[in-house]
Amino acid sequence: MAENILSVKGIKKSFGGVHALKGVDLVIKKGETHCLAGENGCGKSTIIKVISGFYKPDEGSIEVDGKGYPVMTPAEAIRAGIQVIYQDFSIFPNLTVIENLAFNQVLANKKKVVNRKEFRRIAEEAVKKINFEVDLDALVETLPVADKQLIAISRALLDNAKLIIMDEPTTALTKKEIERLFEIIADLKKNGVTILFVSHKLDEVFELSDSITILRNGENVISCATSEMTEEKFAYYMTGRQFEKHEKVVNKRNDEVVLEVKELSAPGFEDVSFQLHKGEILGITGQLGSGRTELSLALFGLLKTTSGTITMNGKEVSISSVQAAQKLGIALVPEDRLTEGLFLPQSIIRNITVTKLDQLAKKAGIINTKTLEEESAKWVADIGVATKDHSLPVQTLSGGNQQKVVLARWLANNPDVLILNGPTVGVDIGAKHDIHKLLRELAKKGMAIIVVSDDAAEVIETCDNVIAMQGGKVTGFLSGEDLNTYSLAAMNV
Amino acid sequence: MNRTGKKIDDNILRLLVVLVVFVLIACTTKTSMFMQVGNFQSIGKQLAEYGLMALGVGICMISGGIDLSTVYIANLCGIVSGLMMQRLIPQGEENSGIVILAMLTAIVIGALCGAFNGFLISKLNIPAMLATLGTYQLYMGIAVVISGGSTVSGLPKGYTALGTTLVGGIPLAFLVFLVAAIVLSFIMSKTKFGTRVYLVGTNEKSAVFAGIKKNSTLIRTYMISGVISAIAGLVSLARINSAKADFGSSYTMQCILIVVLGGVNPNGGFGSIPGVAIAVVILQVLSSYLNMFPDISNYFRDLIWGVALIAVLIINFVINKRKTARLAKLS
Amino acid sequence: MSRLSLKKLKKQTEFYVFLIIIALAVFIQIRSGLFFTNNNLVDLLRSMIVPSIYALCALLAFVSTGPDVSFPLIAALSSYLATDIATKMNYKGPVVFVFLIGMFFGMLMGALNGFIIVKYKFPSLIVTLGTSTIFSGILLGAFEAERMDLPESMARFGKQSLLTVVNAKSGLGSTLPMTFIILIILYVIAYLILNFTMVGRGVYALGGDEISAERAGFNVKAIRFGVFVVNGGIAAIGGLCYSIMSMRYLPTEFAGGEMIVIAAVILGGTRMTGGVGTLKGCLLGTLLLTMVSNSLILIGVAVSWQKVFIGAIIIIGTAISALQSRSGAIIKKKIKKEAA
Repeated sequence: MAENILSVKGIKKSFGGVHALKGVDLVIKKGETHCLAGENGCGKSTIIKVISGFYKPDEGSIEVDGKGYPVMTPAEAIRAGIQVIYQDFSIFPNLTVIENLAFNQVLANKKKVVNRKEFRRIAEEAVKKINFEVDLDALVETLPVADKQLIAISRALLDNAKLIIMDEPTTALTKKEIERLFEIIADLKKNGVTILFVSHKLDEVFELSDSITILRNGENVISCATSEMTEEKFAYYMTGRQFEKHEKVVNKRNDEVVLEVKELSAPGFEDVSFQLHKGEILGITGQLGSGRTELSLALFGLLKTTSGTITMNGKEVSISSVQAAQKLGIALVPEDRLTEGLFLPQSIIRNITVTKLDQLAKKAGIINTKTLEEESAKWVADIGVATKDHSLPVQTLSGGNQQKVVLARWLANNPDVLILNGPTVGVDIGAKHDIHKLLRELAKKGMAIIVVSDDAAEVIETCDNVIAMQGGKVTGFLSGEDLNTYSLAAMNV
Repeated sequence: MNRTGKKIDDNILRLLVVLVVFVLIACTTKTSMFMQVGNFQSIGKQLAEYGLMALGVGICMISGGIDLSTVYIANLCGIVSGLMMQRLIPQGEENSGIVILAMLTAIVIGALCGAFNGFLISKLNIPAMLATLGTYQLYMGIAVVISGGSTVSGLPKGYTALGTTLVGGIPLAFLVFLVAAIVLSFIMSKTKFGTRVYLVGTNEKSAVFAGIKKNSTLIRTYMISGVISAIAGLVSLARINSAKADFGSSYTMQCILIVVLGGVNPNGGFGSIPGVAIAVVILQVLSSYLNMFPDISNYFRDLIWGVALIAVLIINFVINKRKTARLAKLS
Repeated sequence: MSRLSLKKLKKQTEFYVFLIIIALAVFIQIRSGLFFTNNNLVDLLRSMIVPSIYALCALLAFVSTGPDVSFPLIAALSSYLATDIATKMNYKGPVVFVFLIGMFFGMLMGALNGFIIVKYKFPSLIVTLGTSTIFSGILLGAFEAERMDLPESMARFGKQSLLTVVNAKSGLGSTLPMTFIILIILYVIAYLILNFTMVGRGVYALGGDEISAERAGFNVKAIRFGVFVVNGGIAAIGGLCYSIMSMRYLPTEFAGGEMIVIAAVILGGTRMTGGVGTLKGCLLGTLLLTMVSNSLILIGVAVSWQKVFIGAIIIIGTAISALQSRSGAIIKKKIKKEAA
């Protein structure tokens, strides 16, 4: 019996001249919970695909449970007991739970005919493994996300998984669901299943894992026991940069109220009241389903409110459309940059100037290409978008730079109230730092900013005051000294 | 010159080269028949109707949708204005006031039909293909009801003369097409509306989040397509001196072919009007040339067009693949 | 698999189409007294045969990939070739052979669709539009197909009838042709394959999520290619049935049929985005549109209004399902967002 369930050595892999992996090692002991961390593009997903047989490495060796695999194929990996649970869970939303659970095994057995009884038996066996209660005949698209994940996990266990790889498993879950997932992981561990999970959430990594491997730019940075790691070291190993702890300066309270919300309700939240002052950074935080996103949409005219009032600069207003919000000087940087924020294949110029077309156009809506280029060039320089040519599609930029483009688009409107929903999701630590710095500078100049985020560290670092939400209701208000990890945790954030 | 501009130019350049090559081949192999003013005039006349409709389909495809109803909007408008001229102007007399009124009515109906398409697609969220599939039945049905299913003819001479009018040797119909192409090119490349159409076609949701009025942009896009179709209907009314509810049903598919050949991305967001216009001319030159061979059936054009469509798709695919590879290396 | 319950039934589009059909039938019956007469019902069945066969093509294409608009021209070209070969051979044997020839050519054409779509991942609408044009060019340009009388084997088959009824009151007679059996056989085979084989489930799986299907171990490319090949074969059968029922071959009668068939299939609950659609829905959608076009005259609506009604039904039907799926889409969007 080998001591290590997985031993991967010196893996190299390049795609068309780009070296994604430059000799990565990954050793996982039997029965442990191992965390694989690193910034976007560090090679995390590539190494997973190598282990699960979807990519053939250029160099390097793979050993599973002491047995070497010169050529790993997806089928071979499954036979060796390796199961990957992808972020999208690899499910079929249009089919029943039974079929979702049974397909893999039936296909692996090379069966050609559907045997309904056998399907049901397999499905029942699968859900029993984690005592998962679900209507087996339900269509998967009608189930909540957590159930979908549990389907993926129980399916993985069916194949006698010895090593389960989970790719950022908690991203889409609520606090309760995360707790349940952690219980299940603990159970699995008791039954001798090894877990490799990919995450960059600090608290999770420290709570769950026995040991950690960090990758950067396709290379190993460190592998060690979790007990030997600290939060500061973790950030350093991930980015290769030392960050000075930001000295939190509590802004002098400016009494001028820019935005006041009173007893506002809409589908997703109810009875929310708060004041936003000039130069203030207000955090709105809460778990998934707390209503934080809905609140930001309502303030931007994308969600109809059912009751309550919104007052801008002393005047009661109704925000019925994005155009109305824009006119009032409200801007929103949406949650999902890729599907809500950017026009990926279009040029950076178009992506920046989109919100300002009305102002940049001459009579009769005619626009001069040069005007657009100048405007865009100004913002690219001002906000520091790293690109050689702003006529390139915005999809050629990194996540952080893409986020800066969305920011620039709205700053160009010179808003009074800037709302950012998840401003640094999927952004690497360096760019995250830049964005936080920028927000503080904007606030200093008098802009009122709302940061909607579920990242406790981000909220504590950037915000003056914080509203905590849960289940669509405001559960607390924190400011100054009271705003820290413990107080936020107490509010179930 | 920025890159997006350059990319469009590449495509137009390719199309122009193809056009020149075809014209040269035609001129050298069928010199006596092809190199005649009359031939070029008839090329210009024939392409106007479906050329106009292709422009409409083109902007709809750029906006991320498709318009299958153009032909039937054209027929409906042709029938309505034809009937107005026929009923309101006594046989043998001329009345340019009524002719103009009839033409304006046609254009208003075209705009309404287009706006209805846009309403279904944007407000009700019906996929463009299905919505215009439904409205094409509807518009054709209305045309059948209005015309009683028969051909509308017997138009005043003053109007049908427009079908053969030459302005400085150029057929009026072709001039109409040319003006429409130029105006649309300008709208799409030089106005904020045009820019918004491209952005909505790229990502509707992002467009909403960026403060673009998605619904009104789409409704206006389909309205333009409707108006252009109405003009196409008027052109054909003048040329063939009649209108019928199911005239030119093959134009629908032909228009989509032209638009894709002209370089519009079937998924929306990219493409240019000049490209579509050149594709129209290429196809008409080609089919006029093929007509000069008595042995070759007209239907061979279909074969060639289909092959051309698939070939262009594959060529664009290969070019784009290289381009993305280059961009990946750049970043 | 799914136990029947009213609650589940209510969620299915098919159920509503069924209700509309019943309501329409009752309405026509009350207005005219002629709906539930033996000859009208047989006529209705007769008119449904070819569109229902085509509907299979549309269903398979939508569930797995996207719209396929090439089936009318595949039908036209393959049935031309089969009819022509049988005529030239002076073939008098069983009609099955003619069908096999037609299917062979149809599948060849379907393979061309499948190859381009699988290899280059182009939108199926544009590809099948292009290949339709090619097939039309081959049919009318290269072969110069014209009106043809049927060879003996086909004509004989066409003259046989399954059932002949005469309305006692009006004296009008209607016959149900043998091609009806072909329709039944096709649907039974399709039902068995789609529901009881892994390949059939694969068609749905790949329409639901292509990447998941690949990871689960389905051969996504082979299944998609197979769907288009099979579609070619089914289209050929549909084309031959059409010729047999009209007792002659006319090359120009095929084109243009695709849109109504697609509308019928979508009305029957097939999702344009893939993964969802049933044979039941296909038949119900086709029945509804056939009823509208066949029965308007019974309630005193002039034939010229037919298109208006069909257009209105397509618009209303798709609007309802679009609004339904919008509420569905909001949930989906949320889930997607959550998963992102």
